[in-house]
Amino acid sequence: MIARRLIGVLLLSAALALSADAFPTTSNLLNVLRQASLIFLAASGVTLVILAAGLDLSIGANLGLSACLTAAAIKATGAISVGAAAGLACGTLIGIANGLMVTQLRLPPFIATYGMLWMVYGINYWYMAGETIYGFPAEFRALGSGYFLGVPAPVYLMTAALVAGGIFTRYTTFGHEVYAIGANAEAARLSGIPVRRRLMLVYTLSGAMAGLAGVVYLARLNSAEAGIGDPLLLPAIAAVLIGGTSLFGGVGGLFGTLIGAVILTLVLNGMNLLAINANWQPLVTGAIVLLAAWIDAAARKRAEARDA
Amino acid sequence: MHRLMSSMSSGAVSGQVKSAPTAPLLEMRGISKTFPGVRALDDVSLEAYAGEVHMLLGQNGAGKSTLIKILCGAYRPDRGEFLVDGRPASIASTADARRLGVAVIFQEFSLVPYLDIAQNIFLGREFRSRIPGVIDRGRMHREAQRTLAILGVDLDTRLRIHQLGVAQQQMVEIAKALSQNARILVMDEPTAALSDREIERLFEQIRKLKQEGIAIIYISHRMGEVFALGDRITLLRDGRKVASMRPADTTMDALVRMMAGREVSTTYRRGFCENPGEVAIEARALESANGVRGANLVVRAREIVGLAGLVGAGRTELARALFGADRITGGALRLYGAAVANNPAASVRGGMGLVPENRKAEGLALGRSVQDNILVAGLHRLFPNRWYQFRKAHRAAADLIARLSVATPSPRRLAKFLSGGNQQKVVIGKWFNAGSRVFIFDEPTRGIDVAAKAEIYNIMEKLVADGAAVLVISSELPEIVAVCDRAYVMRDKTIVGELSRAELTEENILKLAMHDG
Amino acid sequence: MVDALARRAARIPGVAYLLVALVLVFSILTPRFASAPNLFNIGTQSAILLLLALPMTFIIMTEGLDLSMGAVLGLAGVVLAMLLVNGSALPLALAAALGVGLLFGAANGLLVVILGMPPFVATLGTLGIAQGIALAATGGQSVVGIGNTLPSLYASSWLGLPFSVVVGAAGYAVFHFVLYYTRFGNYVFAIGGNREALMLAGVRSRWYHLSIYSLGGLMAGFDALLLTGRMSAGHPIAAMGMEFDAIAAVVVGGTERQRGNGWLPGTVLGVLSVGVLKNGLNVLAVPSSLQVASIGLLLITALLIDSIRRAK
Repeated sequence: MIARRLIGVLLLSAALALSADAFPTTSNLLNVLRQASLIFLAASGVTLVILAAGLDLSIGANLGLSACLTAAAIKATGAISVGAAAGLACGTLIGIANGLMVTQLRLPPFIATYGMLWMVYGINYWYMAGETIYGFPAEFRALGSGYFLGVPAPVYLMTAALVAGGIFTRYTTFGHEVYAIGANAEAARLSGIPVRRRLMLVYTLSGAMAGLAGVVYLARLNSAEAGIGDPLLLPAIAAVLIGGTSLFGGVGGLFGTLIGAVILTLVLNGMNLLAINANWQPLVTGAIVLLAAWIDAAARKRAEARDA
Repeated sequence: MHRLMSSMSSGAVSGQVKSAPTAPLLEMRGISKTFPGVRALDDVSLEAYAGEVHMLLGQNGAGKSTLIKILCGAYRPDRGEFLVDGRPASIASTADARRLGVAVIFQEFSLVPYLDIAQNIFLGREFRSRIPGVIDRGRMHREAQRTLAILGVDLDTRLRIHQLGVAQQQMVEIAKALSQNARILVMDEPTAALSDREIERLFEQIRKLKQEGIAIIYISHRMGEVFALGDRITLLRDGRKVASMRPADTTMDALVRMMAGREVSTTYRRGFCENPGEVAIEARALESANGVRGANLVVRAREIVGLAGLVGAGRTELARALFGADRITGGALRLYGAAVANNPAASVRGGMGLVPENRKAEGLALGRSVQDNILVAGLHRLFPNRWYQFRKAHRAAADLIARLSVATPSPRRLAKFLSGGNQQKVVIGKWFNAGSRVFIFDEPTRGIDVAAKAEIYNIMEKLVADGAAVLVISSELPEIVAVCDRAYVMRDKTIVGELSRAELTEENILKLAMHDG
Repeated sequence: MVDALARRAARIPGVAYLLVALVLVFSILTPRFASAPNLFNIGTQSAILLLLALPMTFIIMTEGLDLSMGAVLGLAGVVLAMLLVNGSALPLALAAALGVGLLFGAANGLLVVILGMPPFVATLGTLGIAQGIALAATGGQSVVGIGNTLPSLYASSWLGLPFSVVVGAAGYAVFHFVLYYTRFGNYVFAIGGNREALMLAGVRSRWYHLSIYSLGGLMAGFDALLLTGRMSAGHPIAAMGMEFDAIAAVVVGGTERQRGNGWLPGTVLGVLSVGVLKNGLNVLAVPSSLQVASIGLLLITALLIDSIRRAK
């Protein structure tokens, strides 16, 4: 499964290298990596939720609010660490709230997180009151725009998240239990897995990663205004789906999301280099989401027909 | 002229029921149906006569519902033919079945909760008004009322289904069938959710339907009904027709024995337990959200305790309550002397394992590998510090697969590709891995081939020899008698008796399990 | 006596209490709320939402969801405006808007019913596509200069009622008739309540199910008439988030996601509740962003009450 997608990456890269001279330059490729890393950071947490057959539609709004709170905190205290902590805390709290709605109040995940999306969106716009916060210390900006050893900083964060997430899903019992829950929640429950506690965990992580992504995004953009996170929901979901994680749960993983993020970024980067109007990007992303989801649904139907 | 004479002659023989028609209204011949991996029906034949109630008996998995689904056109048989009124008929779709006059009332009613009675009766056959697409509501309600009147039912046809009780909903289903001019009516466990008075009313309806010349195929587990209402009986077991007779020619005991008997178990004998160990499960006056009440039960180490009863007696519900899968609403439950929280995770930690009746939906994640499935309940035990080590996992899984002789080309094979018997072994292996000391088996050998069945008995025997406690639910009397040290019998969601080794015979189980009389 | 009253009270739907409570609270908090021009405002604004909430009721009744309505409405509004700017007659422009809406609605239906995709992701995808097209075609700017025909139509009065309210009422009448008096309506209940029963009755439910989504798109296209008329312009993201208000209105109005339990009058009450809430907060000078947040809170509360009542 991963192999096929890696081949896709190579083919795409080859096609782009042929059609746009600017593509295979070092600076462009590093840029692609940077963008992909940001998408991956936002999508890493929600990958876990989708693995457990859940959903988190609030990650975009979450990212935006977290970024704004980080910005305000840095301006207020002058300390980067306080800012980052604020952003992370915001994201985590939203994740916990989502988890509570799904596990304790038994609300269906997509409606609950969709409602949360709008609540957070509203709070974000109210809090910012139309203002923009900009101009942050260089050390902070380095997190998003800087390079270490020639590689963009977000790539290190992405790698760290990938490693941590990979360890979680493959090398801890928690990760295996999450897969079990996604594959068959009732069988998992009857096998003694504390399903509600694990769901709480993945929703919290999803929120936390969205918060972290918000901090990094702020560092990259060097300015915060309400709604900066909203356009990231579709790309994050697209990355997860392209990567092969099934919406029905139990199949997929973080490395897939990474490849999905890379593929998506390559497509969008290609569009930029080919001077296609940026306004077409949400459309292309939407189409990719549909394509990936269709493949997922078709595969599931085929599998069900076989077991019937 | 001919009709006049026959009516005169039947009138002359006063007081006698009109003679049975010579040809059956419906004949199903040699019906066979195989699904991947399981032979659901094997050469089953059945005849239904107009004006008669034909009882269809058999345990879960015997093939009754498959037969019904074929009759109503939802499934196509692999082999076999139908004859209606003596003429060959083809049932290739639900429309065909309807045209031939077949109507089925399933246990889960085919009613739309928020539409009213009339709309439900005429679902798909609405009366059109002159404007296309618009329903002639007046006519629909009038026709519905007419049909209800035939059945003697007095309900406002504007009531919505969700406002009706179960018995009333059933009346609507019957009215629906009647309005479709059904000549063959199939009823699946119609009295399962009814009170005694409602059952009486239902029987009245059925007698009315008989008078209208409708052939009724009636599926039931309740012996009392079979003899109160049935004109003919057909018994299915493992997809085959075991017997067909008239109620007058048989007894309740004989029927239950025919449904439950299997050859293999009767030749199986084990060394029974002389000295049971500590008390593993102790339930006192246990009550659960699923209807279990007043359950008093003890299972000790080194014992195989049986839980017998007819379908619907509440055995699975009790097992789920003991395991914490259902909410306990009253009474006390102790696991090895200690109180245990009312959820599966706590029960598993306390050493209990449940092998569910529905192993595919509740026991396994079919899309995951054998290894993942077999380790899933014991992850915490295998890796107490939560770090999953692949080599250790491989070894543990391989070890379990070998110990249980699970036939799989590789531990990485997806569980869905295993045979039923091997899937069951994976579920059992799951509990081995969890270090369970108390095992609850719910119908462990249902739908499993003969050889695998024997293996499962051996596994159970080895478990208790190693000091575990085992509770087995089974609908097969010979199995309970051959395998268990003693058994509890359930009826109506409560435990009505306990039989010691000496008392454990099929007759004694039946006596306790059935409604008296 | 108290018992009988309690029983009558229990049959009145919760949303009616909610609406009355909201009106009372806001009337007390500020005299400006209960004034005639303000109530008039609520009416006209609610009409636009109602046209989306009506088909959304059908969709939610059949266990579905349509997140793309706001984006499709925006796109249809842009198409309508652009054609008007180019000099097309209003009927033609409206037909184009309807066509756009129908196209997206049918696409949603295809994805969900035929291809078996989960509704939220299918409509999330079409949302992105519709929004993308609208943004690309307009460069993110409003389409102005649509002439006088549409704005004056919007501002006109019919029998003393504003045009939009009349349209809203007519829309409600049509949907009410369809749901409760036609075969199609019966099947909407059945697809949500017991799809199996419909199949056993020999009905090809998939096409009806697909039509429900097509209807949603069509109404979004039709709603462009009101939205563009009110703004006198077409803007790609003018209706962004309106599907959320529609979902909230439907759920608050008592329509359940399961069992095919839909109540169309409840949707009207829900739409009014959302309208009153937003308007009241507006009058109290609460920023519009918090209004959005409060709708989210309203939705979650309604879902919570729904699940508590079902658990009982």
